[in-house]
Amino acid sequence: MSQLLQSLVDALSAGATLGLAALAIGLVFGVIRLANFATGEIITAGAYTLIFTWQLGWYISIPFAIIVAVLLSLLMELSVFSRMRAATPATLLIASFGLSFLLQRVYELAFTNNVQTAPVASELAQSISIGGVRIQMLSVATILLAAILLTGLQLFLTRASLGLQLKAAAADFKTARLIGIPASRVIGLSFALSGILAAAVAFVTTVQTGAVGPTFGVPITILALVGAVIGGIDKISGALAGGFLVGFATSMLASWLPQDMSNFKDAYVFMLVIGVLLMRPQGLLIRGRGAVRT
Amino acid sequence: MAQKSLMWRLGPLWSLVSLLLIVYAVTLVNSRLGDGIQVQMRYALVNLVIVVALQMFIGTSGVLSFGHVAFVAVGAWTVGLLTIDPELKRNLLPDMFPFLFDVQAPWLVAVILGGLVGGLLAVIVGPFLMRLNGLQAGIATFALLGVVSQVLTYWSSIGPRSGQSMVGIPDVLNLQTTMLITLVIIVIAWLFQRTKPARLLRAAREDPIAAAASGINVVPQRVIAFAVSGVVAGVAGGMFALTNRVLQASQLGIELTFITLAMLVLGGVLSLSGAIVGALVFSLIDLVLVQLQSGVDIGSFVVSIPQGARPIVLALVLIGMLLWRPSGLTGGREFVWPFRKHAPLPGNPVTND
Repeated sequence: MSQLLQSLVDALSAGATLGLAALAIGLVFGVIRLANFATGEIITAGAYTLIFTWQLGWYISIPFAIIVAVLLSLLMELSVFSRMRAATPATLLIASFGLSFLLQRVYELAFTNNVQTAPVASELAQSISIGGVRIQMLSVATILLAAILLTGLQLFLTRASLGLQLKAAAADFKTARLIGIPASRVIGLSFALSGILAAAVAFVTTVQTGAVGPTFGVPITILALVGAVIGGIDKISGALAGGFLVGFATSMLASWLPQDMSNFKDAYVFMLVIGVLLMRPQGLLIRGRGAVRT
Repeated sequence: MAQKSLMWRLGPLWSLVSLLLIVYAVTLVNSRLGDGIQVQMRYALVNLVIVVALQMFIGTSGVLSFGHVAFVAVGAWTVGLLTIDPELKRNLLPDMFPFLFDVQAPWLVAVILGGLVGGLLAVIVGPFLMRLNGLQAGIATFALLGVVSQVLTYWSSIGPRSGQSMVGIPDVLNLQTTMLITLVIIVIAWLFQRTKPARLLRAAREDPIAAAASGINVVPQRVIAFAVSGVVAGVAGGMFALTNRVLQASQLGIELTFITLAMLVLGGVLSLSGAIVGALVFSLIDLVLVQLQSGVDIGSFVVSIPQGARPIVLALVLIGMLLWRPSGLTGGREFVWPFRKHAPLPGNPVTND
C-alpha cells in the first residue's frame, strides 16, 4: 500500500514535469505551428545556469536561469523561426531539430562532454516519512510548482488582455490577426512563456540529477513532444494533459515492471503512443474527428 | 522528328546516367586521395544510400518519416548476425537464441536479407503508420525508431548485452564494391520513381484532394513506397555493418536520423538527384572540415579549426539552407539533358515551392 502511494506521488511529479515541458512546446505550436524540438536546449541552458550560479544563492540563481531561458527562446524565434513563417510544420520541426543539434554541439564545445555538477537545492533531495510512506520532498515541490505555474498561466490567459490575445491566437491564428491582434507580440509572448516553463522544468530536473551535460534536455523533450502530440498539440490543455499522461505512464512502468522488463519501458510508452495516434490522430482531448491541421 | 522522339525517350534516362556518373566520378577522385579519405568515402556512400531511401519515401509521398533509421538498424543487425563467425558469436553473444549461433550467409546474401528484413518491418508497421499525416506521421515514425532502438539495445537474445557492441564482422567490403552496390540502389530508386505507385503518390503529394477525387486510395500506395524504401534502408544498414564492423544500437538512432535528413533537405527533398547531390555535398563539406580539424598546410600557414566545430558547421549549413533555399540545392528538379531547353521530365512535376 505504502509502495503504491509512493509510486503514485513519484508518477504525479514525473507527469507534472513532462506536462510543463509539453505545455512549453504546445504554447508555441498553437501560435505558429512549430513543434520546437530545441525546447530541450532551452531546458539545458537553464540547467547549466543553475549549476554554475547556485553558489551565489538561490535568489540570484533562479531568476538568472529564467532570464537565460527566456532570452534563448526569444533568440531562436528572432534568428530562425521568424524567417520561416511560410514553412510547413514538418519543415519547422526539421529546422528545430537542426537548432537542437547545433546548440548541443555548442554546449559541448563550451562546457565539454562531461557533466557539470553542483548540489542545486539539495535540501529538496531528502525524503520525509508520513505515516510510513516515504515521500521525496522534490516530488511534492514539483507538484506544487506545477500547480502554481498552471494557475498563474490560467489566470493570465483568461484575465489579462495580453493573455487573452495569446489564447485567441493559439485557437485560430488567422482570425486573431484579422481582428487586430498584433502577431509579432503574441508570438514573442508565446516564446517567452515557453522559456519560463522550460526554466521551471530545468529547475526540477537539475535538483533531481545534480548533473548537467550537453544533451541534458533531450530525453525529456522527446517524451514531452510525443505527449503533446497524443494529447492534442492543437490545444493548450491537450498538450498539457498528453505530457502529463506520458510522464505518469513512464514513471509507473519504471516502478512496477520487473527489472528485466523495465529496460524496455520507453519502448512500451512509444507503442502506447503509436496506438493512441492511430485511434485518435487529432489528439486525446480534441472532441470529434476534428480537422487535423497540418 | 524522329530525332526528337529519340531524345524524348533518352532524355529521362539522362537523369539516371548523370547521377551514376556523378557518384562514379566523386568516388574515383576520392579513391586517389589516400586511405583515410577512402574510408570516409565509404561511409559517405552508405549515408547516400540511406538518404536515397528517405527520398524514395518522404520525397515521393510528402509524408515525414523519422523511422527509416529503424530499418537501417534491423538491416545492420541482420548482416552482423549472419556474417560473424559462429565460434565468435557463441563466445561474445552468449545470451542469444541458440539457432542464431549457426546461421551464416555470404556477405552479399546477408546484405540482401538485411534489405528484406528492413522491408518486412516496413510492411508490418506500414498499414498502421501510413494512415497518419504531417506531424502525427513524424511522431509515430519517431516512436517506431524509439521502440526499435530500445529493443536492439536491451534484448540480448538477438544481439549483445546492453552497453556492449557486436564485433567481429568480416572486412569484405572495399570502396569499389560499396560504390557498385550504391549504383545498383540508385538504378532501383530511379526505376521506382517511374512506377505507378510512385506517380500516384506524387500526384497525391501535390494535391491530396484532387488525387482523392480521381480515385487514388493513398494508403496502400504509401505502404508500397514505405516497404520499398524500407528494403533500401535495410541494405544501407547491411552496408553500414560491413563498413563500420562494430555495431551498437546507439550509432543507429536519432543522430543518424538527423544527419541523413539534413543531407536530404540540403539537396532537395523532392528529387532523387536532390538526395544524391545533398548526400555528396554534405559529405564533401564534412571531408573538408575533418581535414581542417587536423590542420591543413597552406604555404607557411597551418589552417585549422577547433575540435568540435565540424558538427556546428554542418548544423549551420542545414539551418541556413532551410532559411534561404528551402527547396534544396536542386530545387526538387532532376537533371535534364543539357542541350534540351525547358523540358521537364514527363512524370516529374516541376515544383517551385
